[in-house]
Amino acid sequence: MTAPAVSAVRPPAAGSGVLRAVVSKVVTAVVVLFFVATAAFFLVRLSGDPVKLILPPDATGQQEATLRASLGLDRPLLTQYLDYLGGLPRLQLGNSLVYDQPVAEVLFSRVPATLELAGSALVIALLLAIPAGTFAALRRGRAGDTGVMTGVLIGQSTPAFWVGILLVLVFAVQWQVLPASGYGGPAHLVLPAVTLAVYSVAVIARLLRSSLIDVLGSDFIRTARAKGLGTGGIVLAHGMRNAALPVVTVVGLEVGTLLGGAILTEQVFSWPGLGRLTVEAIQNRDFPLVQAAVLFFAATFVVVNLLVDLSYTLLDPRVRVTS
Amino acid sequence: MAGPSPLSRRTALRLGGLALPALALPGALTACGTATGSSGRVLRVAQTADPKTLDPQRQGDLMSMNVLVNMFDTLTTRDTGNRLAPGLALSWSAPDPRTWRFRLRPGVRFHNGERCDARAVAFSVNRLLDPATKSPIVELRYVREAVAVDELTVDLKCSQPDPIIPAKVSLFGGVAVPPGYLQQVGSAGFAKHPVGTGPFTFGEFQRDHRLRMRANPAYWGGKPDYDELVFLPMPDPSSALAALQSDEVDIVAGLTPDAALQIQGYRGVEIKHYPGIRTFYLSLDTTAGPLRDVRVRQALNHAVDVPLLIKAVLDGKAREVPTMFPRESFGFDPAITPYPRDVGLAKRLLADAGFPDGFDTTLTAQTADANVAEAISGLLAKAGVRARVELVDTGTYSSRLTSANRGALGPIYLGASTGWTLDAESLVQSNVRHDRRQSRWHNAEADRLVDAEEQSLAPADRQRAFTGLQHLLKQEAPFVFLYQIDNIYAVDTRPQWQPGVVGVLAMAGAKVRS
Repeated sequence: MTAPAVSAVRPPAAGSGVLRAVVSKVVTAVVVLFFVATAAFFLVRLSGDPVKLILPPDATGQQEATLRASLGLDRPLLTQYLDYLGGLPRLQLGNSLVYDQPVAEVLFSRVPATLELAGSALVIALLLAIPAGTFAALRRGRAGDTGVMTGVLIGQSTPAFWVGILLVLVFAVQWQVLPASGYGGPAHLVLPAVTLAVYSVAVIARLLRSSLIDVLGSDFIRTARAKGLGTGGIVLAHGMRNAALPVVTVVGLEVGTLLGGAILTEQVFSWPGLGRLTVEAIQNRDFPLVQAAVLFFAATFVVVNLLVDLSYTLLDPRVRVTS
Repeated sequence: MAGPSPLSRRTALRLGGLALPALALPGALTACGTATGSSGRVLRVAQTADPKTLDPQRQGDLMSMNVLVNMFDTLTTRDTGNRLAPGLALSWSAPDPRTWRFRLRPGVRFHNGERCDARAVAFSVNRLLDPATKSPIVELRYVREAVAVDELTVDLKCSQPDPIIPAKVSLFGGVAVPPGYLQQVGSAGFAKHPVGTGPFTFGEFQRDHRLRMRANPAYWGGKPDYDELVFLPMPDPSSALAALQSDEVDIVAGLTPDAALQIQGYRGVEIKHYPGIRTFYLSLDTTAGPLRDVRVRQALNHAVDVPLLIKAVLDGKAREVPTMFPRESFGFDPAITPYPRDVGLAKRLLADAGFPDGFDTTLTAQTADANVAEAISGLLAKAGVRARVELVDTGTYSSRLTSANRGALGPIYLGASTGWTLDAESLVQSNVRHDRRQSRWHNAEADRLVDAEEQSLAPADRQRAFTGLQHLLKQEAPFVFLYQIDNIYAVDTRPQWQPGVVGVLAMAGAKVRS
């Protein structure tokens, strides 16, 4: 029997062990975030001078110095760094140099649009990938499998911006059934969400297929068949549950990718999400906003990974009892 | 190991049931989504980004100006012939060399009903000058303070003579903001819900999504022809053009020639290009290497075939310039002609200067100008000058441009200037006089001419200085003079509108078909 991919996972302990594991993961997460915050602070300062971008090129040196002082960028780097670290626990991330608004306000105003896009993309990805992966696994080696996997491979190898432009040309320009870009009603969500989902469909479907093929070849499935259970019952009741563990890991990582990797999709569809905000902040050398965005993405990855780890205990009873 | 079983009909139905919502979702969403067609008398304009802020004194970039020019007025403005015209000020004069006096238009009110009088205008200018405002507007560098003389008269007091203050206050240096409202809501509140005197009032703003303005029925210049003006930020030109084709926007602004080519020939969509004032040039570091020799600099000017460049790379959407000045700027002298393009002459000049086999150098440009830079590099190569193109992003470029190290952008870089004031002073203020930050040229006569045009109030004296300067620039060639690029728009059939040469999207004069 091939064991489900539990061994790749470090299981949390039962009872107080679970609590200890959670606390340890939270501490690790805080340390990770501290290093991310520090790296973001110093790296963004290596990338250029925001004052030079805010002012036109014909500004005088004195005008530059005045603006630099009023933005607080003339203070010693260490002072700026300590101020920044001191503000983090209270979520005081400073004011955006460009938008002149509190960074937290600017950042969190974009979260709903990003969640909407990433959430829809994930739902679409799962709705397409689960049937596709299952179908391919059940038809392993036959024309259906080859067909589905070829389609999936094409999806995985196609860049998002190209898929996006293609969808726009067909659905918005030729058929005019969906808006080409923008943010508003559910119709605006369709093309960006599908574009963003394409890559994830491929990743999830391929993994589900191989995982399910493994599981369907195991002894307990043979026993189930011997008991007279139909294929559908076997797949849904036994196969899926056992094939789910690696898939959940990947889906968790995909959530992070979808949240942070929507930059191109947001650019193509003029979607007012975090990705686009981050790109603009980097282009503008908007230090506080870049720092906050980097931290936000890092925190999202950390939290999602933590949740994925904890979800194993629900999916696989063996994880709960191991330690 | 058991092989996979054939899929039973029931399983297929179950899996189909799982897949169905995914396939049906787009259709269902379409049914409940908003239609993309235009509604009523609305004009929708797409540009590449949103305004950085809605506080007109905290911005200085084109995207912000494009929006704010529709909600705010300035002391002076430009008429359709690009001449300086009354705005909030009806007339202006210089009672002494260091004072500019503006007589204001009576009866103007802000959108909240507050009076726009001399007190409000003086408050506005003083707010701009206050370092606490952190304004990136730098034109009023010689203005010390603004003083309300009486209810409708404002004086701008300067630390030294500044002949083009009336032109400078046609930009956001001359914007009026409401003092009472600012006191009430503060700067942050003002930037969230701006109140001006302009032809449109603020509606709503969702950053990176949409900014709506409503026509101001009480506007002193008359209510606009339509009811609502919407700005949509679309960073990707292909998407913006697709939105135009699918009737989601009426005007796509700020197109590059190659982006415009994508849409040429589509039904119901037209590419329009109008003369613009953004002027491109190659800055040459005359303080080091082969470029110290004037013959080498002249050779480069002969080698770069600008008409060919305009035709081949810019799709004809630019005009050659003899020196740094666009035709529409005060100071331009039509008697001065561009360099003849002659590769043979360029080679001879290089040989005379001791470079019969040319030389190796670097041409730095922003990534957005990669096509032009590569083409120029190719043209230079014909004369034997092997210029390796180095591309840098905008942030790096800006940092190096005004760096203390004047060679930070290398021996040759592709630069561009937009003289918003329509006065040649703006084109040479930073890069000609030897002590200015971007200057890489030491020439006492040029310094003298710059001083003359910057400090004289008499237009004839200034024109003489500019003419002299253009002759000198052409002769000494501290730059390779290139072209002034057109402003390019894609429009559908609804709007009738023509921009001024400055290219700011002042949309109050547009007409919109229902």
